[in-house]
Amino acid sequence: MNRQRIRLWDLPIRLFHWLLVVAVIAAVVSGQLGGSLIDLHGKIGLAIVGLIAFRLVWGFAGSTYARFAQFFPTPAKIRGYLKGEWRGLGHNPLGGLSVFSLIFLLTVQVTSGLFANDDIAFVGPLFELIDKSLSDRLSGIHHLFSNVLIALVVLHVGAVIFHGHFKKDNLVKPMLTGWKEGATGEPARGGGIIALVVALVIAGLAVYGASGIWLPEPPPPPAVETPSW
Amino acid sequence: MKSRFLLALLTVTLAGTAAAQVKVEDAIKFRQSGYGFMAWNMGRIKMNVEGGQYNKDEVIKAANAIQAIANSGMGALYVPGSDKGTGWEATRAKPGIFTDKEKVGKLAMAFNKEANEMAKVAATGDAAAVGAQLGKLGGTCKGCHDDYKAKK
Repeated sequence: MNRQRIRLWDLPIRLFHWLLVVAVIAAVVSGQLGGSLIDLHGKIGLAIVGLIAFRLVWGFAGSTYARFAQFFPTPAKIRGYLKGEWRGLGHNPLGGLSVFSLIFLLTVQVTSGLFANDDIAFVGPLFELIDKSLSDRLSGIHHLFSNVLIALVVLHVGAVIFHGHFKKDNLVKPMLTGWKEGATGEPARGGGIIALVVALVIAGLAVYGASGIWLPEPPPPPAVETPSW
Repeated sequence: MKSRFLLALLTVTLAGTAAAQVKVEDAIKFRQSGYGFMAWNMGRIKMNVEGGQYNKDEVIKAANAIQAIANSGMGALYVPGSDKGTGWEATRAKPGIFTDKEKVGKLAMAFNKEANEMAKVAATGDAAAVGAQLGKLGGTCKGCHDDYKAKK
């Protein structure tokens, strides 16, 4: 039992990851099926706003391997990785690229979704803030980018399978347990309780802002009388 | 003699009406008006289902309006040449709606069926059932939008 292992992923990042998996699957399914599920789709979107906001804060306030600076993929790093010169821990440069791409795409998706409409009976919670034609354009972007996002998720899962089968590097287990087996190096540090509280508060504020409940109530049933016919 | 003449006149007039094709620009306008008007009524139903108080009469009016438009034979507005053009705005009907006749027909029938059902359910005044039916009806709108309504 003396095998080397290090603490790689902190608990919040693991929870974030798996909650995001569930949320994205639910969002894709509810978005594709539509009908009664479209309202649920909107609520899942708000949950994803919270998750992404949390991740953005955790990229600065989290523990070592959760930090953006630790795995920011520069072209030089990617070249080095492709030549097999990368010996680090955590996200490798391509993995880092995947993380940033996924965060970016999800940000596009939730932002456009908040203002979107489906030309049926659903509008995003911030739809009121913009005019219909802009909302239509954002809805178009939302549809288009959903396919890009799905493709990227497939690539992400494919890469994880590739690492597991061909490079004999199980990436799933550390994301579940937090421990990286057979590795030496700096264990993850930082991302304590204060950082967690700050990240959760900011995530909560982001969800509140996105939910539009702060929008002034539509003026109470206007006093204007419309003809009864 | 006179009644025969009238009958002939009537026949010619009716046949003429039946055959008269709506002009492309008008056809697109009527289409957009129909869908827009239905959207207003979908929103009314939704507001009643979600908002605090449910107004049975409002929902019946809205559901009946959607049913009437659904059964008005809007297919007649998809005249040749109206795959492009501008009514109130540029049409967003994709070319496939004119060529995939069988599939589009099925989608349209599904929509009509749910619109009829919506009117029936609205008459019961059961808010929960109306909410569920609104979802089903909306699903049939989406069924066509997904493949045949161009995104902006």
